[in-house]
Amino acid sequence: MITVEGLTKIYGSRTALDHVSFEVPKGEIFGFVGPNGAGKTTTLRILAALLEPTSGRALVDGADVIEHPGLVHERLGYMPDFFGVYDQLTAGEYLDFYASCYRVPKARRKKIADDLLELVGLTDRRDQAVDTLSRGLKQRLCLARALVHDPAVLLLDEPASGLDPRARVEMREILKELQTMGKTIVISSHILPELTELCTMIGIIDQGRMRATGPVQDVIRQLTTGRRLRITVLGQKEEAAAVLKPLAAVHEVMMVNGAVEAQYDGDDAVAAGILQALTAAGIKVSGFSEVEGGLEDAFMKATSEDI
Amino acid sequence: MNRIAIALWNPIVSKEYRSRMRTWRSPLAMTVYILLLGGVGWAIFSSTASTARNSFNGAQAANYGQILFLWLVLFQMVLLAFITPALTAGAVSSERERQTIDLLFVTKLPAFSILWGKLLASMSFVILLLLLSVPIFSLVFLFGGIELDQVLTAFLVTAVAALTLGIIGLACSTAFKRTLPATVAAYGAAFILLAGSLLFGLLFPTNIDPNATRAPAPPAVTYLSPILPLVVIGTNGPVNGYGVRNGIYPMAQGGGMACSAGPNGAQSCYMTTVPIGKGAFGQPFNPPQPSGTTIPSGLFSGWQYWQATVTMQLIISLVALILSAVLLPPIRHLPWRRRGQVTT
Repeated sequence: MITVEGLTKIYGSRTALDHVSFEVPKGEIFGFVGPNGAGKTTTLRILAALLEPTSGRALVDGADVIEHPGLVHERLGYMPDFFGVYDQLTAGEYLDFYASCYRVPKARRKKIADDLLELVGLTDRRDQAVDTLSRGLKQRLCLARALVHDPAVLLLDEPASGLDPRARVEMREILKELQTMGKTIVISSHILPELTELCTMIGIIDQGRMRATGPVQDVIRQLTTGRRLRITVLGQKEEAAAVLKPLAAVHEVMMVNGAVEAQYDGDDAVAAGILQALTAAGIKVSGFSEVEGGLEDAFMKATSEDI
Repeated sequence: MNRIAIALWNPIVSKEYRSRMRTWRSPLAMTVYILLLGGVGWAIFSSTASTARNSFNGAQAANYGQILFLWLVLFQMVLLAFITPALTAGAVSSERERQTIDLLFVTKLPAFSILWGKLLASMSFVILLLLLSVPIFSLVFLFGGIELDQVLTAFLVTAVAALTLGIIGLACSTAFKRTLPATVAAYGAAFILLAGSLLFGLLFPTNIDPNATRAPAPPAVTYLSPILPLVVIGTNGPVNGYGVRNGIYPMAQGGGMACSAGPNGAQSCYMTTVPIGKGAFGQPFNPPQPSGTTIPSGLFSGWQYWQATVTMQLIISLVALILSAVLLPPIRHLPWRRRGQVTT
């Protein structure tokens, strides 16, 4: 659904994007992660045909963003990171205006506006002036605006920024609902735990370069080397560490929150061998589990070194 | 036909109407406009009424009517020169400042439709102001001396000048990212159009050719200003004593000529040295005098002043509109740029 090939954007002497490539298949939610200034917004603006790349190619549903910006605009809904609203318009009029800008027939506009207001939970705000809405409600309204022409692709640039925790949860629920409707969604965000839960794919960008991209668990596995065991023992932590350290498969042992954590290379058989070594040494093991590598670990790893 | 209708009447227009008419600024602007124009009309009406109290006849009444009309059209033009740039100079730049422009660019509206919608909404307000002034202009008919076609022509000149100022404001709003510099540039352009072009006629007037068979006319640049045709329409007479060189200056074959404007504005000249062509040394020589409301010579010879002004302003408007449409889109597909160059 979205194809980005070798996208490069140079502003004067600064390279904002350096041969960025990734693909997002239909129906996926692609989380676009990176520190401030990494190039997320630049990439999304190029995908929305609002910015011309220096080189490279971007296709949205098969339409080239430079050659056919009109087709691209038909097929995607774009929500920028910062946006304004017009004075003197109600929420209903606001959606009606953008629907008419997308050439939605007049007869269908009211129903579309009503449906979208219901989707984003703003039905009771239909007649409220948009400039009097809170930031969270404006974000929701802007998301509804991006959907007025029923696009197949949604580009959401930091949709949860500046929202309180409750509003973030509500926004996440709306995005899940959109996923069930079959939309392909590209979402940039700093809130990594939410992306782990929401996204099916992820791209980590840093200093204009794509550090990793693919299904979330693949990226996490790719970036977090080895596996980690959490071992809880009955008062014999030092002894347990002394048993673990000489083992060939174990290359790091740490004390974390009252438990012993061991970083090791190998499969489940190796893990079983580690447990056997502990019990053979008389260590009373009360807990033995594998620690899942998180997106935060992967992100920190990806953005802290050159890959 | 449907596509043209969609391009001309687009959502921007109705949105702008809605937004504009829901604020207190529009009724206030209309009220102030009417009060100012009515105030000027009333002041002139009162002064002529007090002057005419002792002796008043039909010819004087017609003269008063002309004076009232002339002042009203000129004052209305100046008022619109202040109002129109303010209406359009922020049309696009304010969308940028408010961060709403990207949301418009990602819709199916082409850049020209966005510009056209902004222009149509602004110009509709100007037309509304012009219509509001009609009752005040009807005062003129109390005195007589002004025909309906003069009023209609004056309104046409004023409307086209306002349109030109509006489009120039729109072009400034497109070219500048911020509203403040766009507004300053739009007012600068309005000043150049209204007063600068007239100043050009004073600084670089047309030289009188003693061999010419037609009366001299001000330089064509001066027709850019709507003031000149409005004066011609208001007075219903020729342009005298403006844009044509007075004083002593040499002639090609070594002779010279001195000219000055008479009390009625007509040129009066005499040869200062060797007679060339008509006239004789030291003898008065009167070049052909302009008559009627047509341009006597030059590029627009035989045209009405208002026709030249309207033509030149419409050309400027068209150029400014095309320039704006080229500048506005976030990604410009200029014809001379090679397509597909972004492909690796």
